[in-house]
Amino acid sequence: MSATCEFQAKDYKSDLKPIWCPGCGDYSVVQGIYRALAAIGRPPHEIAFISGIGCSSRIPGYTTAYGFNTVHGRALPIAQGIKLANPDLLVLAAGGDGDGFSIGGGHIAHLIRRNIDITYIVMDNQIYGLTKGQLSPTSQKGRITVTSQHGSLEEPVNPLLYTLAYGAGFVAQASPTDLASMASIIEEAIRYPGFAFVNIQSPCVTYGEEAQQIKGLKAISENLSTLGHNPADRLAAMDLAQQYGRKLHLGVFYRNPEPAPTYDGLIRERQAALSKGALPKERILDLFIKK
Amino acid sequence: MRKDLVFGMAGSGGDGIVSAGDSLLQAASAEGYHGVMTKSFGSQIRGGESSCRVRISTEPIPNPGGNLDVAVALNWEDFLKFGAELPVSGTTVVIYEAATGVAENQIPLVGVTPLQVIAVPIAGIAKETAGTERAKNTVVLGLIAGWFGIGGQAVMAGIKKKLAKKGEELVAANQRAFDAGVAFAKEHPLKTDMTVIPSGNKGALKLLTDGNDMAAAAAIFAGCQFFGGYPITPSTEIMQFFTNHVWKYGGAVLQAEDEIAGIGAAVGASFAGKKAMTATSGPGLSLKSEMMGLASIAELPLVIVDVQRGGPSTGLPTKTEQSDLFAAAFSAHGDVIRPVLAPTSVADTFRVVVEAFNIAEHYQTPVIVLSDQEISQRKETMDPIDTTQFKIEERLRPTAADLQEYKRFRITENGISPISHPGMPGGAYLAAGIEHSETGAPTNSGSVHQRMNDKRTKKFDPLLNREDLFEITGNPDAPLALVAWGSVAGVCREALQMAQAEGLNVKLMVPYLLYPVAEATYNRFFASVQKGLVVEQSHLAQTFKVLRMHLDLPKGLKSLARSGANPFLPGEIVEALHHLLAELQRSHEGKLQPQE
Repeated sequence: MSATCEFQAKDYKSDLKPIWCPGCGDYSVVQGIYRALAAIGRPPHEIAFISGIGCSSRIPGYTTAYGFNTVHGRALPIAQGIKLANPDLLVLAAGGDGDGFSIGGGHIAHLIRRNIDITYIVMDNQIYGLTKGQLSPTSQKGRITVTSQHGSLEEPVNPLLYTLAYGAGFVAQASPTDLASMASIIEEAIRYPGFAFVNIQSPCVTYGEEAQQIKGLKAISENLSTLGHNPADRLAAMDLAQQYGRKLHLGVFYRNPEPAPTYDGLIRERQAALSKGALPKERILDLFIKK
Repeated sequence: MRKDLVFGMAGSGGDGIVSAGDSLLQAASAEGYHGVMTKSFGSQIRGGESSCRVRISTEPIPNPGGNLDVAVALNWEDFLKFGAELPVSGTTVVIYEAATGVAENQIPLVGVTPLQVIAVPIAGIAKETAGTERAKNTVVLGLIAGWFGIGGQAVMAGIKKKLAKKGEELVAANQRAFDAGVAFAKEHPLKTDMTVIPSGNKGALKLLTDGNDMAAAAAIFAGCQFFGGYPITPSTEIMQFFTNHVWKYGGAVLQAEDEIAGIGAAVGASFAGKKAMTATSGPGLSLKSEMMGLASIAELPLVIVDVQRGGPSTGLPTKTEQSDLFAAAFSAHGDVIRPVLAPTSVADTFRVVVEAFNIAEHYQTPVIVLSDQEISQRKETMDPIDTTQFKIEERLRPTAADLQEYKRFRITENGISPISHPGMPGGAYLAAGIEHSETGAPTNSGSVHQRMNDKRTKKFDPLLNREDLFEITGNPDAPLALVAWGSVAGVCREALQMAQAEGLNVKLMVPYLLYPVAEATYNRFFASVQKGLVVEQSHLAQTFKVLRMHLDLPKGLKSLARSGANPFLPGEIVEALHHLLAELQRSHEGKLQPQE
């Protein structure tokens, strides 16, 4: 762990210029991440920021940290290896809705049940942007895209309900409509000791629908705290999460008031317990001696 | 008296034939013999057929042996399912269960007249002495001790140890079954003496283990601190070893949600600065290929053990084959070199896995270790390995000067750039699957791509001069040659000895480094070669084709290739060499004839 020292949001901004479309919601998301990291104050070299493939998966490159822009759908498997190899690191994973809930959809359940202390940010824009406008796992049923030219026949995935149902200890939603609260939600997610999921409604200005742009999002957004939602109430959180796609609830849906032990914490305990009296590794072949 | 005996035993799943093989091997090892045991099963978890082969010798053993000296069939239906894996010949003593009702002159082995055939009421003896047919395997061990002089006290000592917790009566019952087996053998002496020479080496310190456990132990010795994997036959025991031991060395293991996540976590651990490994078998290797490409372009060290089995797809999941060479060398897309190494025995699995870590760390690359089902699941006695003679390499870390203006992918003379890891101040960079500049910035530039491809491929040049990764035996100027790797190498080592004893002028190359192809090393080896064989268990002759792709092979070099689960016998290779020699002599005579 580092000594505390002062960091500002700009200290986490890298020299790379984003190649996102002008007006893309992801510009706000990366700002929110800089602010959250500054509030937490870990030096950049103690942060590992992992992504998959997609427009939003460019984000580690725009952040001063150890970044890893990996392959499509596999941010989480790689992030968990990093955290288990070095639990001291602050590990962030990020990507889009296709990356996280379609090609990589098999991983999130397992990171949740292992409760690995990683913060996972999905920039959910209900479309495949990098491949130019195909149907995504969170696209609304009936949506017309280049791969659903007569309208989608599929129900969308509900990322909030999905993660809550698998037992995530921290589930929240944010949006560029309120940058200050987005930054504080991300900060809270990082501080949560365990797997934390933040779904961010991040509009695609090029392929997104009108209703999903900032103006449209503002029209359906409601702050969970003003609704009087108790984030310790998982069932109430699941009830609210069912309105995903119709309402934009911003804030913390669920925060486990009694966080479960983390996998990375448990392996440390196991290492400490089992390393006592172990054979030195130079003598590991003694295990095979037959007398 | 014999120096060497090969036992092959088969029965149905519950007969305990493999456990009898284990007891025999352990007893032989305790008595100072060298021993090798392989197991072969059907795919059923319970029931179905199971078999083992145990070879015992006073000399070090190159392979599990060719034709059986002793065949034990608890029933014929199961025995016959193993076909060429349990070959009976005119020098085999066949022992079988009398209760099968088959007459000694009517055993169902077509075209073979064994040396001797003996029906033994194995189940009957077990029932009579131990009160249960479950003691059949102990009766078999008694027969073996009686007829062949192997086991004896050591077998019962092992059984006592194993059954100690289950009570004295069970131990006593097994002792009665064992003694009855010995007595039966004494009452029915063999026509030919087949007892094994006493080892004279009793009490010598030996290691006894299989290839999977050896691979895992070698990895931990090499400093591996993370294993990510997914269960798949026949590689799973590697992960199992890690779950037992790696914590003691400050490491961690993850049984991941799938093959991709298993290698993904290992890639992550390597990015985080730790030596990391995954292990799998055929279908899993296919799933991992995208991640191998990522590790290559991100220049991250990683060891992948692929325990080959029959393919494609599910194929023959419990049988050995050498058909993953193409996949290992070429499966990830893009222009990439990925070193591939192969062990030939349990003992040298240690050296090969340590070498794989050294190459991975030195060259910052994924390295594949191509083991195979036979090596991975065969148990072998071996002399203790002096671990102090192994040098352990670590990846090149940036110096303080490097970190002044750190470029993770700096183009250096040898193509190897200092690598930082999260936690290291001043070393933060972006790793990526996308092409990148020296600093790690993403790029679409053709010229940068060209330079980076150059860097990532030329860095392997020194590997091509590693002659220590090739074993060459026999006369260096021989006109006849054999090339073989993996478990087939051991068969060819024995074939070489037999051929030399028969006066053939022959040599053998065993590559431990399969890819990249060390062209100069092969060319030197082939310089004297007029006729030869590349021997492999691959229907498509993948090794022969990879060599042909890189080399102008001698015209007389042929492929001796066949599908997995059809083992080669040393004798047939010697016979093939005799044919090649005859061809060679004919062509020489042809040349001597006056031209019209």
